[in-house]
Amino acid sequence: MQYELKTQVIEPQRHTFTHVAKRFGDKPASRYLEGSIDVQPTEHFHYRPTWDPTKEIYDESFSVFRLADPYSYLDPRQYYYAPYVTARSGHHDAFGTSLEYIENRGLLGRLPDGWSAVLGELVVPLRHLESAGQLILCGMARFGYGATITQAAAYSAFDRVGNAQMISRVGIALGGGTTETLTAAKDHWMGDESLQGLRRLAEETIVEADWGVALIQLDALDQLVYDLLWSHLDDAAVTGGAPAYSLIAQHMTNWYTDNRTWIDALYAAWRADPELGAHNADLLAEHGRNAVDTALAALTPFAQRLDARLDAGALERVAATAAASLATFAADQA
Amino acid sequence: MTLAPEKKTKKPRKLSMKARYEALTRGLDWEPSYVTKEEMFPHLEYEGIKIHDWAAWEDPFRLTIDAYTKYQAEKDRRLYAVLDGFAQGQGHLNLTDAGYLNAMKLFLQGVTPLEYAAHRNFAYLARHFAGPGPRFAALCQSIDEIRHMQTEVHTLSNYNKYYSGLHNWPENHDRMWYLSVPKSFFDDALSCGPFEFLIAIGFSFEYLLTNLLFVPFMSGASFNGDLPTMTFGFSAQSDESRHMTLGLEAIKFLLEQDEDNVPIVQAWLDKWFWRAYRVTALVSQMLDYMLPRKVMSWKESFELYFEEQMLKGLFEDLAFYGITPPRHVADAVQEKDVLSHQVYWILYQFSFAAGFTTTMPTPEHQQWLSQAYPDTFDTHFKPLWDKEARNIASGGRHFTRGLPQLCQVCQIPMAFTEPGDPTTLCQRESEFEGEIYHTCSNGCQWIFEREPEKYRQAWLPVHQIYQGNCGGPSVPEVLEWYHLQDGDAGEYLGSRDHTNWLTWQGEAAAETASHENKAGA
Ligand SMILES: [Fe+2]
Ligand SMILES: [Fe+2]
Ligand SMILES: [Zn+2]
Repeated sequence: MQYELKTQVIEPQRHTFTHVAKRFGDKPASRYLEGSIDVQPTEHFHYRPTWDPTKEIYDESFSVFRLADPYSYLDPRQYYYAPYVTARSGHHDAFGTSLEYIENRGLLGRLPDGWSAVLGELVVPLRHLESAGQLILCGMARFGYGATITQAAAYSAFDRVGNAQMISRVGIALGGGTTETLTAAKDHWMGDESLQGLRRLAEETIVEADWGVALIQLDALDQLVYDLLWSHLDDAAVTGGAPAYSLIAQHMTNWYTDNRTWIDALYAAWRADPELGAHNADLLAEHGRNAVDTALAALTPFAQRLDARLDAGALERVAATAAASLATFAADQA
Repeated sequence: MTLAPEKKTKKPRKLSMKARYEALTRGLDWEPSYVTKEEMFPHLEYEGIKIHDWAAWEDPFRLTIDAYTKYQAEKDRRLYAVLDGFAQGQGHLNLTDAGYLNAMKLFLQGVTPLEYAAHRNFAYLARHFAGPGPRFAALCQSIDEIRHMQTEVHTLSNYNKYYSGLHNWPENHDRMWYLSVPKSFFDDALSCGPFEFLIAIGFSFEYLLTNLLFVPFMSGASFNGDLPTMTFGFSAQSDESRHMTLGLEAIKFLLEQDEDNVPIVQAWLDKWFWRAYRVTALVSQMLDYMLPRKVMSWKESFELYFEEQMLKGLFEDLAFYGITPPRHVADAVQEKDVLSHQVYWILYQFSFAAGFTTTMPTPEHQQWLSQAYPDTFDTHFKPLWDKEARNIASGGRHFTRGLPQLCQVCQIPMAFTEPGDPTTLCQRESEFEGEIYHTCSNGCQWIFEREPEKYRQAWLPVHQIYQGNCGGPSVPEVLEWYHLQDGDAGEYLGSRDHTNWLTWQGEAAAETASHENKAGA
């Protein structure tokens, strides 16, 4: 359609929506703010959910973690849909390029035996753990309170599908273009002793009804798993003749770093809440401690197996990360 | 340390596209053994639907995450480029008339929040279905619906800077009387279990009635110089075709899984057809009365997008499963000649308490209406406007100060007539636990009587006003509680938008003239 360009200067009647102006003043607002602030209905729900008539359709009591003003939480990445998919498009593109390079150079076939065992037996099965993350975060996207929180959760849930697909693509490549590695990895996930702690934790976190507690459990586990596999082992891969592993690791680490920002900001918002901050900090300390302890226990047989394959100091590393992680959950963190 | 030499590997057998997609997406589920399956998926039994094989779900699109994000990012890049250009070039001055934006006000207040609600509850399906195929489809739709909510807000954001009625849409949706029509519709679906939601929204809303709801708004935009909304509409189209396919796959999946599902799905179809159809009543008046430049009448639209495409096309296919066209569909067909006129007449009288303005149709507009509705307009509705013309001539534009009775189910004021008889008001009464409840139609009455314990909970705006829950029991108190600003409500002619529009068009004309002079010099 054609339209004529106008150069006329017209004074706007207002610069943004009323609800956005109420918080940030009547000045031009970002697309993130206009597309996120106050968009979740808060009052006059017509009917109670048939699956739980004690709750409203959107209800703060789906978690013990609350904010006096849910929109005191903003995603520091300012992800609304467009920048989110744009960022992920680049991310998956970059991963695809690395994987193509790995495959063209036959780098997976040239992995030392220990590395190839770690990848097939311990890393590829974690696509199922990503899949658990997807479920947990979908629950948060539905039952969380406030559009900025649930939006970040929805994108993170979608990310988990992407992570699972990235790992699966590595598995297919490792299996020489077949599904053999994926099938074997699933058998490991189901039965191998080194993975049962993780699978138990995944299942128990999926059924955790409090989305805030579930997020903390997932996050505590992520903190240990991502550090161990994609940071600690990346260093080992560089010196251990496993460039394929390192090429994959950078993308997993990039995602993890990006994902941390919205979660850390949420913890910070919980603690900074003018009314509920102290209470939230106590809850964070309590649930964080449980979550880290449980995650460490779940990951111990996994780390032991890793050390048996590579002797990479995995057990030590996990224990050290757990200690650091405990400190970040502790109440005196601001 | 040196790199191991390349081992001689057999040339990998490439997986077929389909096998590759399945490997990436399907094998991820597992049978839990540390918790029970019922603990993991606790909402799957209580609606009575039986699923024997979740793997039978066919993914129609086979989208992987890399493909999805790439495609969507590219679409958004193009859409936002149009929005930016439009804002810079004062594109809003190219509308047919500022009055056109009443359609968009209704859209932002009434439809955009539904996109948001769809986002939240498709996330619920993505959590609670026990099959990875439908879960992933639901998750994609969940974030697509964030996209729709946001691109709609961003599309209308520029208009909001210059025009009334758009500035407070989330609160409007939660509070205003006519918006409880779409809100209660979606709340109804949000409070259902996962399978009913899938039929209510995934199928009935996104498939059965989606064209009837969205196409009129988008064509209205293209006929009235609203380039951003038109671009948004095109951009959302490929998402919507995915959603439609999901809806169709959903109903077939449920019907094929177990014969016992058939009567349950049929009852949901009967309910959700009428529920969603009642929401389109707002669209009908938009099409016939709010657009300065007409696209097609509601009647034509209903015939094309519902009778032709759905009753003839779809339900002939569904007959194979033993599914019949929705109960009360005949009432809807009969109503197509009167619906828009009755709804606009309500909005016209109550627009002093709305987030948009209304005005009497011009003689030219009325001529169009009488051509589009030869059987009903001249006999039943033109006399109302003739009378109103006399009111206006004597200085008294008609606003009704009393409050109407609302239908307990659809929440539209009870102003519809008996099927096939435009002169008799249709009113239905039902008793439940000693209380009388009023409904507007056979469809709404049937829905009420099926689940009275649900519909008695409805937050009916008029009842709430009488109880003083909306800022106070008087009209000025309610308007204050709505946070209406000067220019949001009332009569369009002489309104803030109208006055500004005339000024801006005058300036634009003067500017064009001076450009032409310069060019001539
Ligand atoms: Fe949508
Ligand atoms: Fe949709
Ligand atoms: Zn009704």
